[in-house]
Amino acid sequence: MADGYTGNVLRVDLSNEKTSVEPLNREWAKEFIGGKGLGARYLFEELKPGTDPLSPDNVLSIWTGPLVGTMVPLTSRYAIITKSPLTGTFLDTYAGGYFGPELKYAGFDAVIMNGKAPKPSYLWVNDGKAEIRDAKNVWGKDIFKTEELLREEVGEKAARVAGIGQAGEKLSRIAGVTSDITRNAGRGGAGAVFGSKNLKAVVAKGSLGVEVPKMDEFVKMAKEMLLKDVVENPEHAGLVTDGTPIIVDMSQDAAILPTNNWHSGQFDGYQGIDSDALKKRVFVRKKACFGCGIACGSWAKVKDGAFKGASTEGPEYETLGLAGSNCGIRNIEAVVKFAEECDRLGLDTISAGAAVGFAMDIYEKGIITNEDTGGLELKFGNEEAYAKMPEMIAERKSKIGDLLAEGTLLAARKIGKDTEKLVVHAKGSEYPAYDPRGSIGMALAYATSDRGADHNRAWPVASDAYGDGDPWSTEGKAAICHEEQIMKSYKWSMVFCDFYGVSPEGMAKYYTAVTGQPADESWLVAVGTRVWNLVRAFNVREGFSKKDDDMPERMETEPLPSGKTAGKAVPRESFDKMLAEYYQLWGWDEDGRPTKKTLEDSGLGDIAARLDYLK
Amino acid sequence: MSKGLKAEVEKCTGCQLCALVCSASHVGKFNPSESMMNVMDLYPEPGEVKLSYCTQCDEHPCVEECPAEAIKLNEALGTYYVDREECTGCGMCVEVCPYEGCWLDPSESYAIKCDLCGGTPQCIEVCPKGVLKR
Repeated sequence: MADGYTGNVLRVDLSNEKTSVEPLNREWAKEFIGGKGLGARYLFEELKPGTDPLSPDNVLSIWTGPLVGTMVPLTSRYAIITKSPLTGTFLDTYAGGYFGPELKYAGFDAVIMNGKAPKPSYLWVNDGKAEIRDAKNVWGKDIFKTEELLREEVGEKAARVAGIGQAGEKLSRIAGVTSDITRNAGRGGAGAVFGSKNLKAVVAKGSLGVEVPKMDEFVKMAKEMLLKDVVENPEHAGLVTDGTPIIVDMSQDAAILPTNNWHSGQFDGYQGIDSDALKKRVFVRKKACFGCGIACGSWAKVKDGAFKGASTEGPEYETLGLAGSNCGIRNIEAVVKFAEECDRLGLDTISAGAAVGFAMDIYEKGIITNEDTGGLELKFGNEEAYAKMPEMIAERKSKIGDLLAEGTLLAARKIGKDTEKLVVHAKGSEYPAYDPRGSIGMALAYATSDRGADHNRAWPVASDAYGDGDPWSTEGKAAICHEEQIMKSYKWSMVFCDFYGVSPEGMAKYYTAVTGQPADESWLVAVGTRVWNLVRAFNVREGFSKKDDDMPERMETEPLPSGKTAGKAVPRESFDKMLAEYYQLWGWDEDGRPTKKTLEDSGLGDIAARLDYLK
Repeated sequence: MSKGLKAEVEKCTGCQLCALVCSASHVGKFNPSESMMNVMDLYPEPGEVKLSYCTQCDEHPCVEECPAEAIKLNEALGTYYVDREECTGCGMCVEVCPYEGCWLDPSESYAIKCDLCGGTPQCIEVCPKGVLKR
């Protein structure tokens, strides 16, 4: 069928080293599209509630969608969908690059893996066939070497690899999955799930292609959209010239740039890590993901000094915030080195940056000493010590490295001494780089994000701290989160990149052109509503409720010191007000659980019937 | 002066839209493996991109060496294309091409090389960075 889907799901039983192919559930595909939605539907069905995310029973899946691999711009991504070892919630984590389309060309919409391989292994997927292979030559190796060696092993120099480094092998809960060297499905610890299954990588190469119903019409439409909606779209201008690092200056001005473990919203060294510094000091060239007309990525390489030769794609804003200002780092070269180390070892730069900032904070407070850090003087701004931290974490070297590998919250709980209060997180996921004390809606966005604190589910900061809105007014913030979570849910189910400022009408047009199925904005909203409710039901089934939809105490009790946010915090009553309003908008009960009616109205009656709290 | 595509490769970001539209127009599928433009982001020096395609070079050894005489002249354009009906997939052209400008299709039944879409190369139209020209 020429409808964008390959129609095939690859099943992998790692314990018994067997693979099989089954047809895609097309009924579900019509209701959930692909990516986040379809992955969530399968996971809800297949994962036993209460499963330890790092046990063989966790289900690890990789999802594409019908648009992936076609000429629809900015749909190069894939989603890893599993239960998160960092948060215990549902996890969907995405990477761009080239792996997603390659998996489609190799013949599969998705790969679903169960069990645990008896020995370190990798999965080789090629033109409708799959094979579990011995990973002895790459186990223990970093991402860069792993990609190179696996391409050699499969004999395809253009094969694409999604794999883990040492961090994932050593079950770090902040380990990501990396493809194309620098593209990370970073958040939530998917790398540790790979590691727990003795799975080093999935390698794909394909030549089967992807088909759509009316190719000539499709190409005509796609060419027009590429020009008008992507290349000439004014929303993309900043991404073309700068990419996300442009946000550093915006956050400094709004005084919401996380600095020294969130003790300030402004950093006096910001000009050493902003977009201008990047462009002047380390920029090499722009780089695109597959099928992208924007090319937001920047290849950066350090030209001289202690970190000479270090290179990465980026660093992106979140890395510059968490691993830059939040660690008191004032030189872009050091951040490039840190990012390269995280790429190489397979660590999420947001969580790793946040973890190092936290460790610096408790080091300066004397709670940990050189004895815990393996002799490193872990002070804010100490570039030499900082650059060694990714390896300490990934290899679990020294007491602090071993602890931080568990994520900042678990580390603090083990350290004790009231250090948990210094961790800035929601559900165990470290905050991205927008301080809610200068963008109150972000407190709600983080608290209600399905995979723990996140900036890719709702982003009210755009209209308040960076826009004309009032950053401290609660008005309309619940509505922004509600509306954006719906939109992102369908956007991620189509596996679009966040950076495509495509309208709902545009998305519907693409969907119809690829699948041949009718679609409009109201249908997409129905899909998004269904997906977000399904994921919420998943999390409720795992024991999550209102008690977990929270902000760290510091956001309330520790006002920021300078600039526009001087003296500002997030009052508890404001937070509670937004949350109550948010639950109402979603049709959830006072404890944050979707009601039977809400589920039924979203087409999830079968799910409602299986939830204990609704019986 | 060759009559083929020209590329300012330093401007290329590696997005492969050229390869997508090429395979769409020639085989009716999105499939870079069947494209006449090969885009490779180089490893281990990431960020560099290598473009392989037929430049329609003046010496055209592929034409001279093809045992099936399947590489034919498009008289209107003065360029050479592979006649897929007559090509046997022997791979001689791939061997003799000094520019890595042609290769075999995934089923190895015929050679693939740029035919300039009969005069209006689709890749030039879609390239978002203006890398490709004639």
